[in-house]
Amino acid sequence: MEIQIEGLSKHYQSEGKTVKALDQVDLTIPANEIFTLLGPSGCGKTTLLRCIVGLETPDEGEIRIGGEVVWSRAKGIAVPPERRGLGMVFQTYAIWPHMSVFDNVAYPLQIRGEAKSVIRDKVARALKFVQLEGVEKRSATKLSGGQQQRVALARALVAEPKVILFDEPLSNLDAKLREETRKELKTFLGELNITAVYVTHDRVEALALSDSIAVMRAGRIVEIGSPQKIYFNADHRYVADFIGRANLIKARVAGRHGDLTVVESGLGSLHCQARDLPEGSEATLCIRPEFIHVDGVASATPQGGQNVIHGRVASMEFVGEVYEAEIHVGEEKLLARLDPDLPVSTGDMVSIRLAPQHCLLVSA
Amino acid sequence: MNPSRPLFTWSLILIVGFLTLCPVLMLLLGSFSEGLTAFGVFTTSKYVAAYTDPALFDVTYNTVVFVLGSSVLSTLLALVLAYLNTRTDIPFKPVFTVLSIVPMMIPHLLFSVSWALLLNPSNGLLNVFLKDVFALQEAPFNIYSLWGMVMVEGLLNMPIAYLIIAPAMAQFDVALEESSRVFGAGVWRTLMRITLPVLRPAILAAFILGIVRSLASYAVPRVLGMPGEVDVLATYLYEMISTGFAPDYGKAAALGMSVLVASISLIVVYRALTSEGGKFVTISGRGFRPAVIELKRARIPIFIGVGVLCLLMIVLPVAVLLYTSLVPYSMVPSARAFSLMSWKHWIEVFQDPVSLLALKNSLFLAVAGATLGVLLSVFVAYVIVKIRTRASGLLESLSFLSFSFPGIVIGIGFMWFFVQTPLYATLTALLLAYIAAYLPYGIRPLASAFVQVHAHLEESSLVCGASPLTTMRRIIVPLLIPGVVSAWILMATMFIRELTVSVVLSRPGTEVLAVQILSFADDGLWGKLSALGIVMILISTALVLLAMYAGEKFKALQGGS
Repeated sequence: MEIQIEGLSKHYQSEGKTVKALDQVDLTIPANEIFTLLGPSGCGKTTLLRCIVGLETPDEGEIRIGGEVVWSRAKGIAVPPERRGLGMVFQTYAIWPHMSVFDNVAYPLQIRGEAKSVIRDKVARALKFVQLEGVEKRSATKLSGGQQQRVALARALVAEPKVILFDEPLSNLDAKLREETRKELKTFLGELNITAVYVTHDRVEALALSDSIAVMRAGRIVEIGSPQKIYFNADHRYVADFIGRANLIKARVAGRHGDLTVVESGLGSLHCQARDLPEGSEATLCIRPEFIHVDGVASATPQGGQNVIHGRVASMEFVGEVYEAEIHVGEEKLLARLDPDLPVSTGDMVSIRLAPQHCLLVSA
Repeated sequence: MNPSRPLFTWSLILIVGFLTLCPVLMLLLGSFSEGLTAFGVFTTSKYVAAYTDPALFDVTYNTVVFVLGSSVLSTLLALVLAYLNTRTDIPFKPVFTVLSIVPMMIPHLLFSVSWALLLNPSNGLLNVFLKDVFALQEAPFNIYSLWGMVMVEGLLNMPIAYLIIAPAMAQFDVALEESSRVFGAGVWRTLMRITLPVLRPAILAAFILGIVRSLASYAVPRVLGMPGEVDVLATYLYEMISTGFAPDYGKAAALGMSVLVASISLIVVYRALTSEGGKFVTISGRGFRPAVIELKRARIPIFIGVGVLCLLMIVLPVAVLLYTSLVPYSMVPSARAFSLMSWKHWIEVFQDPVSLLALKNSLFLAVAGATLGVLLSVFVAYVIVKIRTRASGLLESLSFLSFSFPGIVIGIGFMWFFVQTPLYATLTALLLAYIAAYLPYGIRPLASAFVQVHAHLEESSLVCGASPLTTMRRIIVPLLIPGVVSAWILMATMFIRELTVSVVLSRPGTEVLAVQILSFADDGLWGKLSALGIVMILISTALVLLAMYAGEKFKALQGGS
């Protein structure tokens, strides 16, 4: 089911100041996609999710789920959460401590008044789906964190909702378990024909799980796109910086060369990804450390269309799979990842290749 | 959904405000009045009379020694016990849990009486025994003295101090100590420079709570102080309103104001300390286990010390009472004493109409009071925890205020109020005063029960399609039941043994167990006293066991099904 949000606003009063949790948000979440709301804490992503599910009341705007208006200020419609027919996995899992695993998962079906035999079958199927068989009788709170997470997922899925919402469901797991659960979740959601809205502040989680990502800041959606678009080809400096490590360098548009944009920067004249920017305008050049190719001490001959610059290795740090090096190019400092086999040491002059498709121009 | 229902909050503020502020206001008005009958005529003569009385100097001195001495004793004992339990390899650790629950079962009044029976100078069992064995001319100990009161009050307050200090010590991050050791400090220096300073808020909180409790304590000074004419403020106040023909409620109110102000200020400090506690005591993440210190050769002797303390606090008081209730008059245990044992005192007590009335009244007050008290507490706790507005903050402060009220002072305040109403000398008067004085005991377990019910638990039920009413029935109420049960039992046990408020408000016809026990003590009827006392202990113990059983049952219910 498609979710449409129009002009949604929500304000909070906090210590006498008005905080805009949501500021005129317009958003369409396509049906049967995994859609992630990504942003730092306090950006409004959880508020948006809670408005969709109905636990929070917006001030202005309209929310439609599958074409049906569930909240609208103008039309005076406010469907309570229990009649929106959604599934949700909470950050704390919200496993009821006084019920067994079976009762927790069966609850949505019991509320709908389904027959006992139907409930038993459906719960068994849901638990099998999340690979949690044989624990039905156990007290749900006695399970491990990862298992509780799956109970919460089974509970959200059991009534076969058309939309399922996730509020930072992995943030309470430790690093290793989080990675495993993330992969499982991806598999589970891939098997279902379902719209999933996923809230997180973890960029890896967002990149790995999503079909689309909406990056939020201060109650507004900054940019929406596929994980690849957000990572390689973001339009906004904020988004490029938030989604991964980046060298951000001031640049000025100098002109065009074929289908590439040419800029002048502290690194010299560089060919970049095409952007429709007027000559002489300010922009920010974004280069991710993993796309800086250091060719070693010996100066390489420039190849056609490649940007080749020279710099001095100021420091090197061994972090396992690579060395992280700070390279000074003129006044600018570049963070780069060096192959451990590369015969380079601190103080060496090196030549650097920058592929134009990985030299990204974002709004200043 | 509109979470702030101002009308609801304000009506609760009205009820709780009446219960907590009424005695305080009446005390204030009363202190400026001529007497209970001449209420309303302004005079400061009572303040002059109260604060120029030459006896006040001695009373104040005694009070300071009593209060500080017993608080130091209880805090030190608790500190040692908590350290032994959480940080050393002392055997039989469950004993420590028992030590912390005991005061729930043995009322302070009976604990004091049992020590009087053991160590009074004329025929205290232990004194007589020691005199015989060592051929002494005089009794070696006199419990009817300031040091006797300090010891007994200190022992009584130790478990409360333990319950504050032990959790703080259990959460203590051992890395703080280990780093001190690495930097060259020895065990002793680490204890003095690191461990104790880091635990300072908990230790201070325990100490201040000890002061508040001993300042309000009436049972110990009444039983152990009065025979030796060692008066502290609590007994001095009571004498003003009871002795003979001319009770002076105005003077008592004037002096009571100081006690109240001191008590409230201490509780404010206590709250500041306990809310700040989190900043000092570092709680490290999961997988952390405090290092156990090996006691080595001292292990057994230290354990014997703890065992003796258990004996003093649990076994001896009950044994002495049981023994006294069976022998015809005070005598050292011997073959002859055992041959003379009979149920005489028990039969007399159960044929005594006043004792039976007291038993009936106490049971009524416990059941009705706890039920009403818990009902009120549920609403108050809900507003305090779930509705966070300025009004709910006011309610929280109000409901915590009565925690600091010394029972006898609040009794005097209520006396000023009830005399003006038809409620004077009725059980309803006692009921209201009980609830007012013990409301925090109901609110605290319920507030923590509400805190436990995370908003997500409620919300996920709504998302699953349950209506708010169904959510209430299937999620919130079941999660609250343990809190309701423990609050009810806690209040009921408090009411069964209630002494300090009752001693002021109880009149012929509204006697309660503790007051009747006290009147047996005044008449020297130790056998009857012991019999009735054991009945009281049995009821208290049964309630506590019931609470534990209900708790276990509920846990089993959660685990199984």
